[in-house]
Amino acid sequence: MRTLVWLLVVGLIALLGIALSQLGALDPLKNGALTVVSPLERGLRAAASPAADFLDNVTDRQDLEDENRLLRQQIEELTAEIAHLKESQFTAADLAELAEVEESRPDDQFLVASVIARDPSNLKERLAIDRGSSDGVSEGMVVMSEGGSLVGVVSKVLDDFAWVTLITDPNSNVNAMVLESRAQGVVSGSLHDGLSMDLIPQDAEVEPGNTVATSGLGGNFPQALLIGQVAAVRGEQQDVFKKAEVEPAASLSRLENVLVLTSFTATHLVSP
Amino acid sequence: MRHLLFVPLILFVALAQVATAPYFPLLGVTANPLLVLLVCWAMVRGPTETMVLIPLAGAFKDLITTDPVGVSVLALLPIVALTTIRERRPTESEFLPTLAVVAVASLSYGLLYMMVLTAVGDGPPWLQSPTRVLLPAALFNALLTPIFYLPVRWATTLSEMVRPSMRVPG
Repeated sequence: MRTLVWLLVVGLIALLGIALSQLGALDPLKNGALTVVSPLERGLRAAASPAADFLDNVTDRQDLEDENRLLRQQIEELTAEIAHLKESQFTAADLAELAEVEESRPDDQFLVASVIARDPSNLKERLAIDRGSSDGVSEGMVVMSEGGSLVGVVSKVLDDFAWVTLITDPNSNVNAMVLESRAQGVVSGSLHDGLSMDLIPQDAEVEPGNTVATSGLGGNFPQALLIGQVAAVRGEQQDVFKKAEVEPAASLSRLENVLVLTSFTATHLVSP
Repeated sequence: MRHLLFVPLILFVALAQVATAPYFPLLGVTANPLLVLLVCWAMVRGPTETMVLIPLAGAFKDLITTDPVGVSVLALLPIVALTTIRERRPTESEFLPTLAVVAVASLSYGLLYMMVLTAVGDGPPWLQSPTRVLLPAALFNALLTPIFYLPVRWATTLSEMVRPSMRVPG
């Protein structure tokens, strides 16, 4: 009987806590807790990182890992540059359109943030960064990797910290296009299956190795922000849409620092 | 009340889980060491102490993650009910029931967690989650059980040796 009463009381308090959290009433408490534990989290992450690297590359030597990491970063930077160049090539034909793009993207301004934690729940793909509303971060801001590719969107902001929903989160959808064919679609996250690009018109030419970038449709993301490369294309001839597996350009599982794009404001379109 | 001395340890496990568990995935999922430790604690030492530790550990974990405060407390509550199996002594071994409770508690944790996330509008895909998250996570947690069970068992035995039991033998 005593156990039952305890279960009921604690359960009710937990529900009350959930309700208060949804109202944002516990945000100062969360901010305070993160302020206290973030140095410890950093230390634990730093301590665990070599073990995680070791398990990932049991047979690899450290120098190969470093070289691999450097090359990956260079590839990501070059691919991001190519994505911008390709976009410029396509849009140069239409100066009016280019002018619009430039107007919508004035000089990009970034805020460097360190990743302090990842969501451990298995059901969400989110990470915490050490920048919050006091640094000018607000919900909906776009987050990029150091190499310049898309990482995700700020989904929750506290005073000194913020949570970023990664593009691989099951609830993430990004309007995208294949730069080579201009085919448009939606890049979505999933549970442990990485990224996929859906709703690609059946007649669009999409091949493995093609570059996928944001299309800018919907106003939530700037145009031509590198997402990744097409790894495989799925779908039968009779299907209405094609589906492509996309390999993210950024190494999302090992991010240490990210860039918050503070100069871009998401536009929330309202239907007429 | 001596078990309250272990509160920092429990909080450290929660913190370590948040900070490092995503870097050690198995079967595509991460482990829940906090849940495993609390189940082992309840199975070895009885659920009374766990009734104090669950709200503290759960609330602390929620404070440092993106979850609403209370969701982990709610998801950990079934541990107390499940560990009543301890009193029935289904097997001679204490370890096998602990393994089973860890697996079942992992599943109930995942289900309750998903229900709350769905209720607050942040729900995961329900059709994929059981096979891709809940079952692998239950298996992973069960594999972790000896790592937590043995120290809790030894610490309990040691403390009983230091403080002789009041029970009358036979």
